[in-house]
Amino acid sequence: MLQIESLKVFHGLIEAVHGIDIKISKGQCVCLLGPNGAGKTSTLSSITGTARATGSVRLDGNDIMALSIEERCKRGIAISPEGRRIFSNLSIQDNMIMGGAIRRDKTRLAQEIEEWISHFPVLGERRNQPAGTLSGGEQQMLAIVRALLSKPRILLLDEPSLGLAPQITARVFEIIRDLKKQEMTILLVEQNVAAAMEVSDYVYVLNNGAISSHGDVGKFGDGSDLMDELMGVHR
Amino acid sequence: MTLRLNINQRKGLVGSTLLSLLILAIVGAYYLWGESYQARILYATFVNLLVVVGLQVFMGNAKITSFSHSAFMGIAAYVAAICVTPAAMKAISLPDAPWGLNAFELSPLVSVLLALSITGILGLLTGLFMARLTGVGVTIVSIAILVIVHSIFLHRTDIFKGNQAFFGIPKIFDLPHITILAIAAIFIARLFRESAFGLQLRACADDEIGARAMGVDVYRTRLIAWVIGTLFFATAGIAYAFFLGTISARPFYFNFVFLTVAMLILGGLRSVSGAVIGTLLITIGLEVVRWLETGPDLGIIKMPQMLGLSGLLLGVVIVAVMTFLPNGIMGNREIEEIFKKDPG
Amino acid sequence: MDYVIQQVLNALSFGAEYALIALGLAIVFSIMGLVNFAHGEVIAFGGYSMIVVATLLTGNPWVLMIMVLAACVLIATVLERVAFRTVRGADLTTGLLTAFGVSIILQNLFLLLGSPRPMAATQFIFLDKTLTIGAIRVSSLQIYETVATVVAIIILLTFLRRTTLGIAMRAAALDFEMVRLCGIRANRVIAGAFAMSGLLAGLACIFIMARRGSVSPHMGFDPVLTAFVACVIGGFGSLPGAVLGGFLLGICEVAVQVLLPQSYGGLAQAVVFALVALILIWRPDGILSPAQEKGDKI
Repeated sequence: MLQIESLKVFHGLIEAVHGIDIKISKGQCVCLLGPNGAGKTSTLSSITGTARATGSVRLDGNDIMALSIEERCKRGIAISPEGRRIFSNLSIQDNMIMGGAIRRDKTRLAQEIEEWISHFPVLGERRNQPAGTLSGGEQQMLAIVRALLSKPRILLLDEPSLGLAPQITARVFEIIRDLKKQEMTILLVEQNVAAAMEVSDYVYVLNNGAISSHGDVGKFGDGSDLMDELMGVHR
Repeated sequence: MTLRLNINQRKGLVGSTLLSLLILAIVGAYYLWGESYQARILYATFVNLLVVVGLQVFMGNAKITSFSHSAFMGIAAYVAAICVTPAAMKAISLPDAPWGLNAFELSPLVSVLLALSITGILGLLTGLFMARLTGVGVTIVSIAILVIVHSIFLHRTDIFKGNQAFFGIPKIFDLPHITILAIAAIFIARLFRESAFGLQLRACADDEIGARAMGVDVYRTRLIAWVIGTLFFATAGIAYAFFLGTISARPFYFNFVFLTVAMLILGGLRSVSGAVIGTLLITIGLEVVRWLETGPDLGIIKMPQMLGLSGLLLGVVIVAVMTFLPNGIMGNREIEEIFKKDPG
Repeated sequence: MDYVIQQVLNALSFGAEYALIALGLAIVFSIMGLVNFAHGEVIAFGGYSMIVVATLLTGNPWVLMIMVLAACVLIATVLERVAFRTVRGADLTTGLLTAFGVSIILQNLFLLLGSPRPMAATQFIFLDKTLTIGAIRVSSLQIYETVATVVAIIILLTFLRRTTLGIAMRAAALDFEMVRLCGIRANRVIAGAFAMSGLLAGLACIFIMARRGSVSPHMGFDPVLTAFVACVIGGFGSLPGAVLGGFLLGICEVAVQVLLPQSYGGLAQAVVFALVALILIWRPDGILSPAQEKGDKI
C-alpha cells in the first residue's frame, strides 16, 4: 500500500535519513523502532510532506513526493504527530471538526464524532472546553481521534506513548489493537519496544538514518535483544 | 579604553578604509568635475549615510526594526539650531520663545556638545525601556517616540515653528566636514560591529536564549547599541541644520524614516558596507527619478510631470529586496569579503 | 447630560473605528505573523474605487457601499497574492518592511493616478446627521458606526466559531502546519484571512468617507497607525485584544481631548502614544496575551 524507496530526508543542509526502503501492505501494522535521533520522525515527516526529501514515496503505486501536505492528507494519509500538537486554543469538538475538515459527508462526520465521544466519555464531558485543559493521555487520544476522523487509508502514529503513565500507555495500545481489527493500515513509531512489538506485524529498526535490520515481528523474539541494541547495551 | 583591537576589528579597519576611499573618490570627483548644485546633493547623501550607518548599529546588529531615528535627528537639529543661532536673528525667527530661548547664543562647539548630550540622554532614557522590549514591541514604541516628538514639534510653534521654517541658522558645516563625519561614522560603526558588544548583539539576534545561556547581558548590549545609534542620528541632525540654515518639523517624520530604512535593507542591514552601498545606490536612483518626476524633455518625447514616482520607486525597492534578496546586497558580508560566498 | 452622552458616543465611535481596523490587522497577524501596514492603503483604495464607480456608473450610495466593500476585499486578496505570499514564513522584520513597502507603493500610485490633494466624494455624508432624541442631540453616524461594528464583530465571531474555515483560521493561529496536515489548504486559510481583513477595512472605509467626505493618498495611514497601537495594547494577534484595544484607545483619545485644556489639543496624539508606550513597558506582550515562553517547543 505504501512503498518507500531510497528515501533521503533533509533538515536544512543536514541529511537526517540516508536512503531507506520501507514497505507497508494493506491492513498491516508496521513498526519503526530506533533510538533518539535515528530519523524516525523525519521519515514520517517525509511521508506527510512536512520535511524536504528525495527518493520515492508511493501510495497505491502513485508517487506522492510532488504533492503538497494538504493533497497528501486528501489522498488518505493522516498523522498523530510527535508532541500530539492538538489545537489547545480550540474546543475538543472543534479539534475533531478539524480532523474531519476534508470530509464531504458532514452528517456522517457528526455521527462519528458522537461515536468517539461515547467511546471516550472524558472527551464528551468537556467537548466545549479548550483542548489544552486535557491531560497528556487525553490529548493523545484526541490526536489519534483527530487523525482517524479524516477517514485515512494509512495512519501514522509518532510515539503515541511518549510521556504517558503506564496505564494510559496500555489504553493507547488497546486502541491500536482495535484499529488493527478494523483492518487499518498503521505505521507506528515507538520507543516502547515491548508494547510496540506486541501490536506490530513487521519491524524496521532505524539507526543513524539507516535501516540496521528488519523482518517479521517473530524474527526478533520477545524483543529483548532489540531493546539492548537500542539502549546501546552490548553483551 | 585600550586601543588593542581584535582580529575582526583589524579586518574591519581594512574594510572601513576601502569604504572611506570610495567616499573620498566621490568627493574628489565632485571637486574635479562637479557642478556647485551637486554639493548639496552630496551633503544630503552623507547626512543620510550617517543616519543609515547609525541605524545599522542597532537595527542591523540586533535585527530589530526601529523607526524613531528621525525623531532623535530632529531633536538634535533643533537643540543645536536654537543654541547656535545669533540672538538677534532669533528675535525675528522665534519672537515668542519662552524661557529666554531667543535671548542667548552659544559657540558652535558648545552647541554641538549640548545637542549631542541632550539627545544622548534622551537616547539613554528611551533605551532603558527599549532594551527590555522585544520584536514588535520595539517597533511600536519607536513609532510612538516618533509620533510624540513630531506632535511636540508641531504643537510648540513658539519654539520649533512647526511646519514653518526655522531660519537664520549660521552655515557652519560644509562638504569637507560632513565627509570627515561620514568616514568617522563608518569606522566607528564597523569597529562596533566587530567588537565584543557587536558580536554579542548579533548572537542575541540569532538566538537570544542561547546567547543568554552563554552569559551575554542582552539588555546591556542592546542599550549600548541604542545609545550609540542615537548619537549617530544626533550628529546627522546637527550636520543637517548647520548646512541648510533652515529646518522644519516636516523632514523629521515618516518619509525620511522610510527612505533611510530602504537604504539600509537594500544594502543589507547586517553589514556596515551594506549600509553605505545601499545609501549610495538609492541616492543615485532617486536623483534619476526626481529628474524624471519633473517631466524632462527627452528630445523625442516630453515626459509628463509625475509626482510620486520617487516614492513609488522607494516602495518597489523595499518590496523587491524583501522578496528576492531578503539579506540585501551584501548579506552578512563586508566590503573586504565581497568575493566570498555569503555565509548566510 | 447632553455633553456626557455626546462624549461617550464620541469614544464609542472612535473606538469602533479603531476596533474594526485593528481586527483586520489582528486576523492577518494571528495567522501568518505579518504586521500588515498596507491595511490603511486598502482603506484608501476603497475610497478611490468609490470615486471611480461614482463618476462612471452610479451615485447610488447603497450600491457604492457594496462596491467599497468589494473593492477592499479584492485589493486585500490581491496584495496577499502578489506581495505577501512570497514573504510567508519569513521573520517579522521582513514581513513588516514588505508591508511598509507595499503601503508606500500604493500611496504613491494614488498620488500618481489620482491627485496629491484630497478629492471630494460626498456620497456617504448623508449618514452624518444630527439626531434629536428627547433633549439629547447626537450624531447619527456615530450611532451607525458603533452598531455596525458590534454587528460586524458578532458576525465575525460566528464565522470563526461555526464554519470549518473559521475554525481552521483559529487553529492556524496556533499551529499552521498541523492545519495543513488536516488537509486544509494553506492558501485558502490565508486568503480567507485577507478577505476578511479587507471586508473590515471596507466597513471602516465607509465610515471614514462619511465623516471626511473626501479621499487622499494618506487617509488610511493615521487610522492604521492607531489601530496598530490598539492591537499592541490588546496583545498582538489576539482578536478580543484588538477589539478591547480599539475601544480603550477611543476612550483614551476622547478623555485626553476632554481633560486637556483646549490649547493642548495638538498633543492628544502624543499623549495617547505615550500611554501606549507605558502600557507596553508594563506588559510587553499586551494586556490580553498570556506571557509567552521563549525558546523551542518541545
